[in-house]
Amino acid sequence: MNTTSDQDQLYLQAAEAFGPALQRLARATEANDERRRDLLQDMHVALWRSFGRFDGRCSLKTWTYRVVHNTAASHVDRERRTHRDAIAIDGAGDLADTHSLARTIEETDAALRLNVWIRRLKPPDRQVMTLYLEDLSAAEIAEVTGLSSGAVATRISRLKAQLTKHFKERTDA
Amino acid sequence: MPDHDPFLAIWTRQPAEPFTLTLADIHARATRFQSRVRMRNITEYVAAGLVIAMFAWLGWLIPDPVIKTGAGLIVAGALYVCWKLHSLGRAAEVAASDHASSLADFHRAELMRQRAALATVWRWYLAPFLPGMLVFLGAVTLVADTGLPLEARLRTFVFGVGLMAAVFAAIGWLNARSVKALDAEIAEIDRVRTAGGES
Repeated sequence: MNTTSDQDQLYLQAAEAFGPALQRLARATEANDERRRDLLQDMHVALWRSFGRFDGRCSLKTWTYRVVHNTAASHVDRERRTHRDAIAIDGAGDLADTHSLARTIEETDAALRLNVWIRRLKPPDRQVMTLYLEDLSAAEIAEVTGLSSGAVATRISRLKAQLTKHFKERTDA
Repeated sequence: MPDHDPFLAIWTRQPAEPFTLTLADIHARATRFQSRVRMRNITEYVAAGLVIAMFAWLGWLIPDPVIKTGAGLIVAGALYVCWKLHSLGRAAEVAASDHASSLADFHRAELMRQRAALATVWRWYLAPFLPGMLVFLGAVTLVADTGLPLEARLRTFVFGVGLMAAVFAAIGWLNARSVKALDAEIAEIDRVRTAGGES
């Protein structure tokens, strides 16, 4: 059993190492600013709570990605049930995407388009893609998601092809 | 992973938004979360307590032994449902706290838990009330001296039973629909895990 200071210490270590990745995951999960901030806070709290039960069954990196991705997946599930009549999560992304046309910074626009595209993916694809973009290996992604390495590699290859096609079509348009 | 993938660069160069959450904030939010869970449990127990108190009072107030039996059975049913809600709630808290399972395991376990609760709702939520409600309804419509002719009492009883059956059937139908949707999601997770990534 960890003491509270162990729990705090592990959390601080994970937040320091993966804080930016958590922000990116929140952005690729939730388009609404306010709900995204809530989700990010929920991820941090879930992470801190999880370290009260840290049992070393996997590395800190795998543990952290599992906890925050599960929190994000629960968020999407909850939003799907509670905001059925409101703008869909992906729909809100579309608004941001349309507004982004006015943006002048090309990279920011590309990041927005990337996030909108990710939000439209089914949960397993969304998880695999965001973990790939965080530069995790196929074996690491397999450990986080519970899929086989082969399945992860196939998915990444297919998703990258779709993403490239999507960006090409948008650029041509 | 290839380091020349342009999407990796787009992804990692996203500007960080200002975000501060101190340890004290985290502790406070975690405490608030626990309080919310406690409040939700208290609300459920208060609702069950009201049903129990009302039927216990009726059973005590009305001298008719059949009505007393019906009220007693409803109180027993409510106590059983209360206990089941408590056990299911505990299981949900334990499942939700195991966020460090792999994504597929976590999501599948969550769906299975929801499915089990919905698929067995007849057994643990509706059936425990059935004997008490039937006896109580029969007692107030058929046994109690209402001054109405037997035919009118029978009609009232049949109408009451029909109403209960309709409510139970509607709950059963809605749950069966939800179970079907959950089955499809579980099958999709299993397919993804075994299909080697094709979709």
